[in-house]
Amino acid sequence: MDVSLDDRQEGDRTIVVVGGEIDVYTAPKLREKLIDLVSAGHYHLVVDMEAVEFLDSTGLGVLVGGLKRVRAHEGSLRLVCTQDRILKIFRITGLTKVFPIHASVDEAVAATPDSA
Amino acid sequence: MAETTSQDLGIEAPPGDIQDRVVLRLPALGAYLSVVRTATASLASRLDFTLDDIEDLRIAVDEACAMLLAQAVAGADLECVFELSTEAIAVSVTVPTLDGLPPTRDTFAWTVLTALAGEVDATADADRCVTISLLKRRAELGEPVGAEAPAL
Repeated sequence: MDVSLDDRQEGDRTIVVVGGEIDVYTAPKLREKLIDLVSAGHYHLVVDMEAVEFLDSTGLGVLVGGLKRVRAHEGSLRLVCTQDRILKIFRITGLTKVFPIHASVDEAVAATPDSA
Repeated sequence: MAETTSQDLGIEAPPGDIQDRVVLRLPALGAYLSVVRTATASLASRLDFTLDDIEDLRIAVDEACAMLLAQAVAGADLECVFELSTEAIAVSVTVPTLDGLPPTRDTFAWTVLTALAGEVDATADADRCVTISLLKRRAELGEPVGAEAPAL
C-alpha cells in the first residue's frame, strides 16, 4: 500500500487529498507535495485525510512542518478528518489543539481564512 | 546479534503461558514497515484482540520500528520478536545502531508509542544493538488522555 496525493483549487484554498498509508517510507512524498505547493504560492491548504488508512508520528511531523511553512506566509493549514483511529493520534500528541480539524472539505473551505 | 526477549529488558513476561514465539527478521528499511504492521495485526487478531487494540498495537510497533530505523547501521536487519500469550503480546524490536543509544523520549513517536502500548522500555547492549520492547495486554480499557498542545 502506498500513499496517493492529489490537489485541486477551490477559490483561494488548495485542497490536498491524501489517501493510503502515511509512514516513514511514504511521508517524504507528502512532505514534498506540501513544500511544492507552498513554493508555488499556495498558502491556504486544506488537507483531506478521509482516505488515509494509516498515519504515524512521521506523518504528524510532516503536517506540522507544512503548518510552519504556511504560517511563515500568514497562511493556514486545515485538516479534514472524521476517522477516530486517525484522530486518536492527533489527540495523543496534543495536535488537536494545534490543527483546525473539520468534518468535511466544505466546512474547512467555509472556515474563516485566518492564520490557522 | 543476540536475541533480546522481554524478560531481558525488565518488562514482565506476558501474563499467562507463552503459547508461541514468532520472530520476524527483515531489512532495516522503511519499505518493510508495512510488512511488520501487517504481521502485527495478524498476530493480535489470532489472540482475539479487539479491533481498537489491534490498531493500537499496529501503530505502536510501527513507531518502535520507525524510531530504530532512524539509527540503524546501513544494511542491517531489524528483528521483531513477538511473544504471544493468552492475555498479552510482548514485542521486542532490535537493530544494530551506530551510536548504541536508546531513542530520545521527547518525540511524537515516543509519545504515541507509550500511549498506545502501555508498557514500554528501551535499552542498548554492549554491541550497540538497541531494543525497544512493549507489552500490550488484551482488552485494555480507556483511552489515553489528550496531551497539552506542543509548542511549535
